[in-house]
Amino acid sequence: MSSSNPGSPSATATSSSSASSFSSKAHSCIQALSSILSTVPSSVSSSSSLLHDPTVSSQISTLLRDPDSGSGDNNLCRWLYDTFHSPDPELKLVVLRFVPIVAGIYLSRIALRKSLAGFEAILLALYAHETTARDGQPISVNVPDLTQPSIYHEAKSSVKTQATELNLAVISPTLEPHGTMRSSRRARIVGVALELYYSKISQMPVSSKLEFCEFCDIWATGIQNKPSSSSSSKQKTILLPWELLQPSLRILGHCLLGAHKSKKLYEAASMATKSLYERSLHDIDAKAILATSSLLRLEKMALDPKLNVDHTEIDMSLAL
Amino acid sequence: MADDETPSQTQESSTAREFSANGTSMSTTDVEAKLDKGNIEEAESSLRERLPLNSESASCNPKTATFRNEHLNPNSSSVSSSNYSSSHENNCANLDSQSQQAARLVLEGVYLKVKSLQKLGKFAEAAQDCTNILDAVGRIFPQGIPDAQVESKLQEMISKAVELLPELLKQAGKYQEAMAAYRRVLLNPWNLDNDCCGRIQKAFAVFLLHSGLEAGPPSLGAQADGAYVPKNNLEEAIPLLLVLMRKIHHGDIQWDPSVLDHLMYALSLCSQTPVLSNQLEELKPGVFHRTERWNLLALCCSGVGQNKAAMNLLRKSLHINERPNDLTALLLAAKICSEDSQLAAEGVGYAQRAVDNAKRVDEHLNVGLRMLGLCLGKQAKVSSSDFERSRLQNEALKSLDSALSFEQDNPDIIFELGAHYAEQRNLNAALRFAKKYIDITGGSVMKGWRLLALILSAQQRFAEAEVVTDAALDETGKWEQGPLLRLKAKLKVSQSRPMEAIETYCYLLALVQAQRKSSGPMKIDSQVEDDKVKEFEVWYGLAALYSSLSHWKDVEVCVKKAREMKQYSAELVHTEGFMHQERGEIQEALASYINASLLDPFYVPSKVRIGALLSKLGSNSLPVARTLLSDALRIEPTNRKAWYHLGMVHKDDGRLADAIDFLQAASMLEESDPVENFRSIL
Repeated sequence: MSSSNPGSPSATATSSSSASSFSSKAHSCIQALSSILSTVPSSVSSSSSLLHDPTVSSQISTLLRDPDSGSGDNNLCRWLYDTFHSPDPELKLVVLRFVPIVAGIYLSRIALRKSLAGFEAILLALYAHETTARDGQPISVNVPDLTQPSIYHEAKSSVKTQATELNLAVISPTLEPHGTMRSSRRARIVGVALELYYSKISQMPVSSKLEFCEFCDIWATGIQNKPSSSSSSKQKTILLPWELLQPSLRILGHCLLGAHKSKKLYEAASMATKSLYERSLHDIDAKAILATSSLLRLEKMALDPKLNVDHTEIDMSLAL
Repeated sequence: MADDETPSQTQESSTAREFSANGTSMSTTDVEAKLDKGNIEEAESSLRERLPLNSESASCNPKTATFRNEHLNPNSSSVSSSNYSSSHENNCANLDSQSQQAARLVLEGVYLKVKSLQKLGKFAEAAQDCTNILDAVGRIFPQGIPDAQVESKLQEMISKAVELLPELLKQAGKYQEAMAAYRRVLLNPWNLDNDCCGRIQKAFAVFLLHSGLEAGPPSLGAQADGAYVPKNNLEEAIPLLLVLMRKIHHGDIQWDPSVLDHLMYALSLCSQTPVLSNQLEELKPGVFHRTERWNLLALCCSGVGQNKAAMNLLRKSLHINERPNDLTALLLAAKICSEDSQLAAEGVGYAQRAVDNAKRVDEHLNVGLRMLGLCLGKQAKVSSSDFERSRLQNEALKSLDSALSFEQDNPDIIFELGAHYAEQRNLNAALRFAKKYIDITGGSVMKGWRLLALILSAQQRFAEAEVVTDAALDETGKWEQGPLLRLKAKLKVSQSRPMEAIETYCYLLALVQAQRKSSGPMKIDSQVEDDKVKEFEVWYGLAALYSSLSHWKDVEVCVKKAREMKQYSAELVHTEGFMHQERGEIQEALASYINASLLDPFYVPSKVRIGALLSKLGSNSLPVARTLLSDALRIEPTNRKAWYHLGMVHKDDGRLADAIDFLQAASMLEESDPVENFRSIL
């Protein structure tokens, strides 16, 4: 499922020259990790194997769910923070893989007045990375009307205006640098971490996406809807402003309608979408109602065999 | 090839591969050898010689023979992809139907192989072969496929191959190549029919929206002059979906609800629901039930704050003859009404219906109750009689309490209860709720901090209020600190520290001016207006502060600066009136206050001041004063100055018992007066 890295020739050249330094960095990271986890399989030797190894992931996930995991002196948080700051982009992906758990547990524990400095450091590091990467520009999308011709259609634009009115929609406003986690900016900082996660989602393993769906359920309704387990524990819901909701909806859209083959992920995403729909009705949030209800309808349509005819099939009526 | 013989059954043959028709048969080896050498015409002619076939059977038999062959043995290279490419180069200029048939035969064979590989799960190989088909077609028709001259079966096969290639690449997990394939398919002229083209465009749009992979901009060769070129996935997907919708509107392709749903998803993420409204309006009647269309349109309008339009639509949809019990529509209507006191009474009706319906279906009852409480509270604000006001307020509190009983930890309900109790000056209860709200939200919502600080100030606990404000300032980002800093300045004034208050204001002013100059070209109009309002409030606050210290020169400067931000403002005119009054210029003061009242008929301080001045001008003007002060109390029942002056009016008129009541009320209110009006919170 991982795609090839879209790199220019110069990027691949530099990566090959520093490949040795990256691999040594990966080694030292894995070494550091072995002192924190109980077992690290010997098959884990490079950053991509670290990303996909299920034993390592499940151990890290369990440790992160520990009641005291987010504090400032926690080893695992420190490891995640250091790993994210390494120059190897593959190692950054390893940290990104755990964003759903870190964000989920962090937000759920806010009301408990525990020390969460470890989680905050990781989230702030992700936020700082995005702030530098975006260089003070917002992420915007131009939504054109069809009067201007595009590469996909002709248009009868009789009046050639000099400057067509840009219908610029801002998907993600400009980021201000934040050194500390201020409560009023918490949702934005976590939202930006989720946006970063979404930008690399095609390279994330399925287990990471499953964790995200699980936390969506908890955020929305407080009920952990695990398809496998019968128990559902009641936890506190969190405030879901648009800054958190929008990236979550994009991730769920990928889990539900993206080109992957995991049935488990599909079911988990379906439940998470239903939870978010109920939550958007509860908050009477019009945009969220529109987005979640359309996802639910699309999911139903995807399952309907009458609507999914394969037009590329050969017409066999002539054969016999 | 135009024999009249009927096609016959093809023989089942798993060991010897042979063609057969009409009783004769031949082994395939000979034909295959010729195909392998790349000479299709010879292969075809040998087929023709040995098997007397009419054109129809000629098309099915080799096809099925090859198909069965490949089904059993996909590794056979009987129709190897590279071989026909060279032969086709010879066919470039020759577009007559015979060579088209030849090409079609071979390409169909490859296509069968492709489909078989797909069914066997060998997607990468299938994709490679499919690409080869398209390459070959590209060589046959280097200028693109002309409309009328292509044989229909060849066109059909090309269309299928073109539709299949991106799907194969997706199934093989080669997502970047799939993106490129989609673009190749859609941007080159393959003479696809509307349905096929529509399907491919939809598949591409869905892939762009949900694959999680950025496609990158299309190559420069694809761009025509002045054409719009997308720069990211959303910018490419949304116009594709709009193009599809346009085809649906024109009837070129059939109605497909998934296109609208994908568009709905994409546009609501971008907060561009007005574009969605346009699309919904263009749909022909009958596609949606009219109430469904109205409800969707109302959601689109409400999503961008066009509440008036949303209400108009919801009124139609919730009419007794339409669908009056739709829960989502009722809740949306109640919510919009709860934000506007003029609509609050109507909102109560919708909320009550929502509650009744929710009881029947057992869902979202607490939401209905909460909306009911909010609407009743808002309605109480504009009620004309004291009795009705207290009745409505009690009912509002009852509703909110029952909503809370369903959901103890709903932060919105907790905040609203706190604000209601605060307005009723039940400060202990209000304090409990305000503290709980901050705990639950982790201090992330500013209005919670403000409520707590105001309640503490109303309890005359100014030092603690200032501590709370400082804590809130720590937790708030720089650009949102405005209201908190204003609050802090007022608290300092209450603690008789005016110089510090001025410092706070100056700091705030610097902040606001920096914000106005900082954000670059991406500023939209509403942001510019917002910044002006913020700066206006700072100057006005400073003017009010200086006028309480009687620094009239400074007041004049501040008023002038504030007027640059907002020219016609009742507050500024009122401040000038106060200045005149303190300087003894009573006529000018009265004129200013009256002007302020004319600018804003709901501006209470001016009414109170006019009433106060008139009450001192003699017994003839006492009734006028009384009317004005009563009017002020109607708008703001907790205005202690209005109570006080009204008490004095009663005293001057000789009604001492009334005067005592009013003055007592004024005194009680003074003991529980917050530094800012509680109304500014809700």
